[in-house]
Amino acid sequence: MKRTSVDNDFCFSDKIGRGFRFIISHNVLGPLTALVLVSLVFIIGTKGFFLSLKNIQNILSLSSLLTMIVFGSSLVILMGAIDLSPEGVIALTAVIGGLIMRNERTAVDMGFWAIPVIMGVGAFSGFINGIVNTKLKIPSLITTLGMWFATLGIAVIFSGGSTNPILDTRFQTLASGHFFGIPYITIVAAGVFVILLIIEKRTSIGKYIFAIGGNEVLARQAGINVEKVKIIVFSIAGSLYGMAGFFLVSRLLSANPTISRGLLFPAITATVVGGTALSGGIGGVVNAFIGALTVTVLRSGMVLMNISPYVQGAVNGVVLIIAVTITMDRQKISIIK
Amino acid sequence: MHAILEMTGITKSFPGVKALDRVNFKVYEKEIVGLVGENGAGKSTLMKVLIGLYKHDDGEVVLRGKTARITDPKTAAQKGVGMVFQEGCLLPNLSVAENLFLCQEGHFKHRGLISMREMVEEARSQLARVQVDVNPKTNVRDLSQACRQMVEIVRLLWLSNVAGVENPILILDEPTTVLIAEEIERLFTILMSLKKEASIVFISHRLEEVLELSDRIVILKDGRNMAELKGKDAKIREVQRLMVGHELAEEYYKESQQNEPGEKEIIRVQGLEKRGFFKPASFWVRKGEIVSIVGVLGSGKEELCRSICGVTKTDAGKIFINGKEIKIDSPKDAIRAGIGYIPSDRRDEGLALQLDVMSNITLIVLKEMINTGIINLKREKKEATYWIEQCRIKTPSLKTLCNNLSGGNQQKIVLAKWLAAKVKVLILDHPTRGIDVGAKEEIYRRIRMIASGGIAILLMSDTLEEDIGLCNRMLIMKDGEITGEVECPPQVKGETTVLMR
Repeated sequence: MKRTSVDNDFCFSDKIGRGFRFIISHNVLGPLTALVLVSLVFIIGTKGFFLSLKNIQNILSLSSLLTMIVFGSSLVILMGAIDLSPEGVIALTAVIGGLIMRNERTAVDMGFWAIPVIMGVGAFSGFINGIVNTKLKIPSLITTLGMWFATLGIAVIFSGGSTNPILDTRFQTLASGHFFGIPYITIVAAGVFVILLIIEKRTSIGKYIFAIGGNEVLARQAGINVEKVKIIVFSIAGSLYGMAGFFLVSRLLSANPTISRGLLFPAITATVVGGTALSGGIGGVVNAFIGALTVTVLRSGMVLMNISPYVQGAVNGVVLIIAVTITMDRQKISIIK
Repeated sequence: MHAILEMTGITKSFPGVKALDRVNFKVYEKEIVGLVGENGAGKSTLMKVLIGLYKHDDGEVVLRGKTARITDPKTAAQKGVGMVFQEGCLLPNLSVAENLFLCQEGHFKHRGLISMREMVEEARSQLARVQVDVNPKTNVRDLSQACRQMVEIVRLLWLSNVAGVENPILILDEPTTVLIAEEIERLFTILMSLKKEASIVFISHRLEEVLELSDRIVILKDGRNMAELKGKDAKIREVQRLMVGHELAEEYYKESQQNEPGEKEIIRVQGLEKRGFFKPASFWVRKGEIVSIVGVLGSGKEELCRSICGVTKTDAGKIFINGKEIKIDSPKDAIRAGIGYIPSDRRDEGLALQLDVMSNITLIVLKEMINTGIINLKREKKEATYWIEQCRIKTPSLKTLCNNLSGGNQQKIVLAKWLAAKVKVLILDHPTRGIDVGAKEEIYRRIRMIASGGIAILLMSDTLEEDIGLCNRMLIMKDGEITGEVECPPQVKGETTVLMR
């Protein structure tokens, strides 16, 4: 990068100093520092037990599941929209998954073919989110809130309100097994991470997601088919929730509609803690990953330190608000509703 | 010389106002055209029609000898016509390279994946064409306004280049308002060098700039062609006269009804300052006096008025009402002190459109009509009825929703609301914006009426001619500073108009 001092003056607004610019343009740095600090606190607080292989495996496995959800919801948030439907969609995919793996209730046994079907169900839910949001022009907040309860309701109906045990134990191996100490689920999450990173950095749709989040009107003027991008992104998010649903069912070897309860809050917290702005346009897959890891570390660290669950809840809430305060571009929003 | 663009008979109406009336506009090869006119003359509208942001009602656009149907800015760019807007249209959160080639990523794809390296290289060489040496990986939000403009210009040039169009047309809408002197100098150098390969339409209110740069000057007035001059021969005075157009009509601004202002100062502003927007400003308005603040966009007059009515916060300064110092931190404080503000955008800011006429009129005075916590409906009705008569508001009933009334009547309701609140000072923010000539006269009459009632009026208006016509005194603002003050008694208004220009 060669620039003369004159050009420097010409091209950079003097409002932002150099150091600050560095942090903004590398907006991974802040969240990463937060993650390291939180980890340090727990390493000291647990006198090193936090670093034990078993605990690290546990964190990897827990955060991998969260990561899948966060990858989905953060893609939506990057466009300046929001997705509240993961809990419902995961419940639905889990229950349907239970019915098509070898189980006690139905005679169906699709074996590993169940995986694409489950992800397809998730993708379809996301597709409907996208259609309702863009074609009926209903804010994503309401659309996905509706989808949350609609899918949850359908899940309850399909499950009959009770737990359906799964008999195919291969799935449990897949969900809980290790490969040289690394959980399979972590390997899968890493694969998803790489694919999404390529989409983000090297494809048009990746660029468009950020453009829409930056300013939807200008993005449309530039010629981006905003509706199409939104529908695709909601669908991708849905398929990722489906993947999470599959791993949840497989780990427990039983399916019921309450399986996903309480997953939305950590997903949203992780998204913003990772540095993705709720106002859209800033963040990305790397941020989502760091966020999921931070939230998991926070949770398991507090459990290890025997902190009361009530305090834990409060801590999570405060962390969410602080993270939003730091990341959100409030210049863009004139009225806070 | 060969015309590459011919717009003929372009007509465009918005509800209540004819923005363009059979306008003709031509652009020749490799020239710079200055497009000038007062606010509302139709410059921007004409250009927005050209790039497809507005659809014209009538008229023809012929581009390079062929009738062109341009439906959106993207098609315009493919046909080699692009516009750099005042507010800019780059995405702040994307890098320079990503912005330059947004929606054109296909040119850098190998096996479906974008090569960022190639994209950055191409960006670098494109930027070098206009001698801008900025790292293409920089986020646009970190660039100065000047540099953003350059990036936009480069983007437009590249787009038409890729589309295989020779001699693109670049439209620059008020590009210099956001720039400092050296940046303007630099922009002009670059524009002059771009003339070798492109035609440029340059819109600005700073006439010196237009004269310096343009080969040809097209003047619009009230949505019509007024005149066309050769850039070399034009004199500022002459262009200004043409922009204003006709000699002032007798009594158009109800000059004879102008009051001799009272002795008493109603509002005095002392050293009011907002850093980055306006420098310490001091002035006063007397009883029944109309004072207008004149200045171009960005002169700081809007911010000054908005801080007096508590919408924006100030850094320093005092405001006195009737000799008593008051503190204004919010619109509520301003209302309590008796300062009313009628915004230019009454649909958004001035009225609660979903409420009925009565509720809007009594919105501010409602507190006075409350007896032990309950609104006295009878008094409210009486008050509203009184003001409806006073302001000649045409409404079927007190309960009609404001949404269903005409723009003119909505304007009157905003006024009634403030009069009912017995304001001492009224700030009028472009009261005639977007209103037809006939309706304007009605508003002028009303402004005179309010002033006669002893209210001090601070006015910002759309045209200088309107300012001079209406006010007793004029404050001139430039670059955030009050640089002058001109008295405008009724008998010398015509002369003042000429003097000012």
